[in-house]
Amino acid sequence: MNNVAESFIGKNTPRSDGFAKVTGTMQYTSDIIIPGMMYGALLRSPHPHAEIISVDTSAAEAMGAVCLTYKDINPVVYNERSVSIPAATYRDRTVLPNKARHFGEPLIAVAADTEELAFKAVKAIKVDYKVLDAVYDPAEAMKPGAPELYKTIYLGDKRIDVQNNIGVVRNIDEGDCDAGFAKADRIFEHEFELERIYHNQLETKCATCKPEPDGSLTVWATAQSIHANRQLLGRILNMPLSKINVKKLPFGGAFGSSIQVNTVTPICACLAMKAGRPVRLTSAREEDFYSHQKYPALFTVKMGVTNDGIITAAHVKALIDFGAHQVQPLPFMGCTAGWFASLYRYEGNIRFDGTAVYTNKTPCCAMQGYGNPQINFAIESMIDIIAEEMNFSPVDFRLKNYRGVGDEFWGQGPTIRSIIKSCGVEQSLVEGREKTDFDNRALPHEKTGVIRRGIGLARGFHTSGTAGPKEGEVIDYSSATIKINEDGSVDLLTPVTDHGGGTWDALKKITAEVLQVPLDMVGLSPAETMNTGYDVCTHATRGVYCGGAAVYHVAMKVKERLLEFAGRLMAEHHYNLEVMRNDELRQSVVRVKNFPSKFMTVGDVARQAQIMSWGTMAYTDSYRQRNCPPCFTTHFVEVEVDTRTGIISIPKVLIYGDCGVAMNPDLVKGQLVGSFNRGYGYTVYETMPLDENTGALKNNGLLVDYKTPTAMEMPRIENVEVVLCDTYEPSGPFGAKGIGEAALASVQAAITNAVYNAIGIRFHKLPITPEVVLKALKNKEQEAGK
Amino acid sequence: MSMHEITIKVNGKPRRLAVKSNELLLNVLRDKLFMTGAKYGCGIAECGACTILKDGKSVMSCLVPAVAADGWDITTPEGLADGGTLSHVQQAFIDHAAIQCGFCTPGMVVASTALLNENPDPDEEYVRDYLRGNYCRCTGYVAMVSAVLDAAQRMKAE
Repeated sequence: MNNVAESFIGKNTPRSDGFAKVTGTMQYTSDIIIPGMMYGALLRSPHPHAEIISVDTSAAEAMGAVCLTYKDINPVVYNERSVSIPAATYRDRTVLPNKARHFGEPLIAVAADTEELAFKAVKAIKVDYKVLDAVYDPAEAMKPGAPELYKTIYLGDKRIDVQNNIGVVRNIDEGDCDAGFAKADRIFEHEFELERIYHNQLETKCATCKPEPDGSLTVWATAQSIHANRQLLGRILNMPLSKINVKKLPFGGAFGSSIQVNTVTPICACLAMKAGRPVRLTSAREEDFYSHQKYPALFTVKMGVTNDGIITAAHVKALIDFGAHQVQPLPFMGCTAGWFASLYRYEGNIRFDGTAVYTNKTPCCAMQGYGNPQINFAIESMIDIIAEEMNFSPVDFRLKNYRGVGDEFWGQGPTIRSIIKSCGVEQSLVEGREKTDFDNRALPHEKTGVIRRGIGLARGFHTSGTAGPKEGEVIDYSSATIKINEDGSVDLLTPVTDHGGGTWDALKKITAEVLQVPLDMVGLSPAETMNTGYDVCTHATRGVYCGGAAVYHVAMKVKERLLEFAGRLMAEHHYNLEVMRNDELRQSVVRVKNFPSKFMTVGDVARQAQIMSWGTMAYTDSYRQRNCPPCFTTHFVEVEVDTRTGIISIPKVLIYGDCGVAMNPDLVKGQLVGSFNRGYGYTVYETMPLDENTGALKNNGLLVDYKTPTAMEMPRIENVEVVLCDTYEPSGPFGAKGIGEAALASVQAAITNAVYNAIGIRFHKLPITPEVVLKALKNKEQEAGK
Repeated sequence: MSMHEITIKVNGKPRRLAVKSNELLLNVLRDKLFMTGAKYGCGIAECGACTILKDGKSVMSCLVPAVAADGWDITTPEGLADGGTLSHVQQAFIDHAAIQCGFCTPGMVVASTALLNENPDPDEEYVRDYLRGNYCRCTGYVAMVSAVLDAAQRMKAE
């Protein structure tokens, strides 16, 4: 028993759900089929703003359909997103409204025996509307006399009058900005704007709800948090939580769109309860476009800089158009302020003035980064602007000012902060500058020809989880149950969901590493709300760092019991025992330290414990992390701008990711490459203009008119290089922190900085479609001609 | 609406079905045959999540009326593996970490199989171009292109 098995933490292992995924046998929410199931369909608002005067569902009901309107539902006013504490949560919506506030808002729901009949029943419903004026622009919405979306809403239990459609104002002031600006040699101020985009997760939002004979309800829903779904349904249906069971399933992408309880889920639950039969409600793609979108943003950024390259103060003003319902712009703005505050030191002098406004558009929610890609684009553009104007190297200017080890990081707005303990920024910038010969890049005016090549960089990060030393506005803890079976295999039960980045495999690895069992001897148990403790949500890049920490904590408790039982069986003090993996036996063995021939397999310990009726070696607990370490990224992007067409292509990219110890390096790299693709779309293609006459999207919710980069537009295999930084996060399970959302943060500015290097034009607004680029090139030419 | 009796060979087995003239092949596969490997993503043949093989060539099943598929020989994602043994394309997708959420994976694997049926020795450009009709929001495609090129090598080595 001398052989020491190699750890699989930090090693590539084939994903355990791979077989199911490549054979099409993985079961997603939209694959749930229940005998006797009815099909749901929604009547969605044809107006951007309208009161419902009357509804006549008699013709639909005559066809056999079950109909649900605002009159049928319990008028609980809620926010779909519940990761913030109640006192920091605005509430403005019900399951179905009596007033439409955006085009495509669900107003009436039906269930019928077939999908076809459900659609026909929707068409047979008669609704009389009083059409109201709509407002789409946040600045217009704040003017006196603008159409009013709400008169009152709630903050926690407090009733609030809404003035001028202003949903949330959030101002944060730290240090002394005025003194900081007074100290600066130069002041810079610029505006940056980012449009709404759509998550475009491949599985559209879906729910299936089944009333059970004992009066309880079973729910399958596209969800990043099963417990958030259960708790909200309990409030809406006025049922004990023990009567609502939400199943954990994989989902076909989310990118933040299912942090909140999806709009269709409570509707489906209410339909099923009314019908007394199982109901499935799936969104068509053209409906899903109207469920949630990414927050747009308009920023004014002001920075003061000394001649020796120290940023002495920074002030960001933000105007956020969040649409028709609050899916928490309050924490969104807090987080945006936090990402801004944590990028550079600014000598501690920061100010953030944020205003978030209701408009008659689809509600906005988190989408990979929660304000981070937005503000990163502004700040990282600003850094390049300043570096050029003041003749600093973009790399050195960043190195001089970034927040790194020992500095404070705001993981989730001003109330969640911790000290940075691991940081890959320096490695990324220094290595990347050499690999790309960045310092010798040609300047824009030195370039000629119809196709101009440029290189740019930007750096970013995201938090790992939302926990700090002190609890704040956001709830953060996770739970796990682990038990050792009588053959030495292990069951892991966790409420944590997996976006597909490999979180579940990482949790299995953590379990296997602590208990030293072979990886394939750890089974992931089917999880649902009735058999798991609470986990807030797989959001904020917290799956491995926070969910994994709970698994680590519980596994350590199971290990204690294992050593205690083994000690009793082997007549040794448990301090003298150690647990080692033995791949030949396909078991973990407990052996006496320095006396390796005296050992028992874990299976033998479990079997003996059973025979002697000592019990099962199992443990359940919740665990809260006490830090929110940033995971850093840096992007070096090469672009080619065709000055005849305005088309931007990306022949080459170098990506640095700092996730601490990678649980599965290839899956981490995959997330970085996938995020690069989404950032490419966000920067160059994705836009969703609105028809202001109807309030409808001009693409009508059709994918064919929502361009994203395909396999064709990505750089070739040999030109995509991903480097994982050599870091270890002391507060993470086996040195791990997150990567998911960080992977997107700096893509946008890296591309626009590269475009600037190619053609000498600074873009302050995304996306930079070929039309935008061509127009800017023409303007530049005309100005040069003057 | 009138019903039609059709016979489709699905993964080697003939299946007789009664379908309405407005029923789509994708929905028949999923809701009547309970083969949910082919997915709904857009309903307008823009995303490729519903890709199946007809006589070894790729077809988007969301646009095919089931009556039009009478007499077809089709392969769904469930039919690519030989029992517990994955096809080269399937195995390469796992080995190259070309999978994340997995929702596009069945369609992507089917389309890649069709690609290699048509051209067993593709270069990178060919694969990139062929897969442009299959949408993936998670991976950024690069690992998928590597997987298909590797699968071609594995097939040649066989």
